[in-house]
Amino acid sequence: MSKEYVHPAPVRVWHWINAFAFVLLVITGVQIRFAELINFLSLEDAVRLHNWVGFIVIADYALWYIYYFSTGKIRLYYPNLRTFAADAIKQAKYYGCGIFKGEPNPHHMTADNKFNAMQQKAYVMLMFIFLPAQIITGIFLWQVKGFENYIDMLGGIRIVDTIHVLIFYFFAAFMIAHTYLATLGHTPLAHFKAMFTGYEDH
Amino acid sequence: MEKIKPLCLTATVASVAFLACIWTASSALAIDNETCLECHSDDTLTRTESTGMKDSLFVDLNKFKYSVHNVNGVACVDCHADIEELDMDNEVPHAVSLAPVNCGNCHDEVAEAYQNSVHKKASHKGVDIPCYACHAYHDTTRLAMATVSERQNSFCLKCHDPYKAHDWLPAKENHFAMVECTVCHAPEVPRHVNLRFFDLVDSAFLKGDVIMRHLQTDPSGFTDLIDKDGDGTISQQEFEDLVLMLRQKDIRGVFHGELVAEINPIVHQVNRGKANRDCSQCHSVTSNFFQDVRMTFDMDDGSVSSYNVDRQVLQTYFVTFNALGTTRVRLLDKIGIALIAGGVAVVLLHLSVRLFTIPLRRKKLDHPEA
Repeated sequence: MSKEYVHPAPVRVWHWINAFAFVLLVITGVQIRFAELINFLSLEDAVRLHNWVGFIVIADYALWYIYYFSTGKIRLYYPNLRTFAADAIKQAKYYGCGIFKGEPNPHHMTADNKFNAMQQKAYVMLMFIFLPAQIITGIFLWQVKGFENYIDMLGGIRIVDTIHVLIFYFFAAFMIAHTYLATLGHTPLAHFKAMFTGYEDH
Repeated sequence: MEKIKPLCLTATVASVAFLACIWTASSALAIDNETCLECHSDDTLTRTESTGMKDSLFVDLNKFKYSVHNVNGVACVDCHADIEELDMDNEVPHAVSLAPVNCGNCHDEVAEAYQNSVHKKASHKGVDIPCYACHAYHDTTRLAMATVSERQNSFCLKCHDPYKAHDWLPAKENHFAMVECTVCHAPEVPRHVNLRFFDLVDSAFLKGDVIMRHLQTDPSGFTDLIDKDGDGTISQQEFEDLVLMLRQKDIRGVFHGELVAEINPIVHQVNRGKANRDCSQCHSVTSNFFQDVRMTFDMDDGSVSSYNVDRQVLQTYFVTFNALGTTRVRLLDKIGIALIAGGVAVVLLHLSVRLFTIPLRRKKLDHPEA
């Protein structure tokens, strides 16, 4: 079985910082929202940790952004508009049926073609819409008074809070699906190992 | 069925009794305010203290006439009670040095409550903090409709810089803007969330008279119009109906909420160590800090109409008051739980089929030609 270097070091660093931070944000977010039900952290500590980790995610997003745009690798995220629909259907059929029969994955992962059509669609949404929206609403909620004018422009604190909470639930659900999908390599741990070593098995 | 009664009723009765008492005393002395203001409306009128400092004796009539004391007919000599007569032959027609005004002569409950406060106890250290150090002299106004900012700027912030003592507090600016100091620092005081209608088109709080006029009612008819089930509390549905009625009259706005202390004598019992750092005492849906929610309207005649509101309204999109956890919109949690449960269900289903079909794949691996 051959190996290919698919995940460069900056991407792996970004990924694991992001993963660890997201777990912390979900835990502290749940504590903040449900203080009367859960008590594994004081609310004060939960808010403080949530804020600090939020800034780590912002810095980490900057790392991702600078790396992908400066190297031109951002094109990995751009779907091929001519083949996208057909590829996505093919990929969905594989996950829904072919994988159980032992059919090969229609997408062959290489350094230049890392994501399948479904991943491209999901990650473009995540990295260009959901995560920036979560960062912006998070910053506004961190200093409500300081960003009062911007909050009012968006329709008020309740709207900003609603966006932040809905995306929070979306990310919580995404992390479950993402972790499970990562077990669909040739062995359940193959993709996890690759995200540490950088090399994917072929 | 019991109807909502304006909560200012008790205050009105107390004011009438108080006025009757004052009126009797003023009449007996017969030194009216106009006489005092003949000299004290002069903004250059000063006296020189023994320390050499000049002390202004000017009373600004424009402020004084709107003060709660003047509005209620309290005369100058009711407070400056050691002036019993004026001798106009003298350059100063009364004693040059007057006794300090004793507010406790009328505000006896407040004076008693104040004894047990960190401010009164400071007198042991040689610091005397009289009432008017916080409440000013001649322009004391009603506080029922005062915003948190107005209340704090008028009192606590005269001496205290909140930024020096709240480093630990997350989003401190937001707390300072939405929560009155005494809510935490005099926690025995009853407190409530005060909701005032903010007109989004004019970017200003709307006067009660304007709202009543558009609804073609008045403060006493407002209850019958809005509290349709007559249970004495405006429910979430009744609250949303009110917002809809206002929108039908082209008034678009939201209710701005603030957590304020009751205007109550024990609000003066501010003491060290009363406030604590347990955020969850406020930030949970079971917190008793938000049991009492009121909608208040200030009327042109200076009165305040106040109506009880179900705390559920704090979870609607028509209220700007946002306390983490406490005012969370439950619908979002239902959507969130559905999202997560859906994700888990799909994963479990897929995993089950994967495990169930292992023999199929193993067979294919062993007999690839099949």
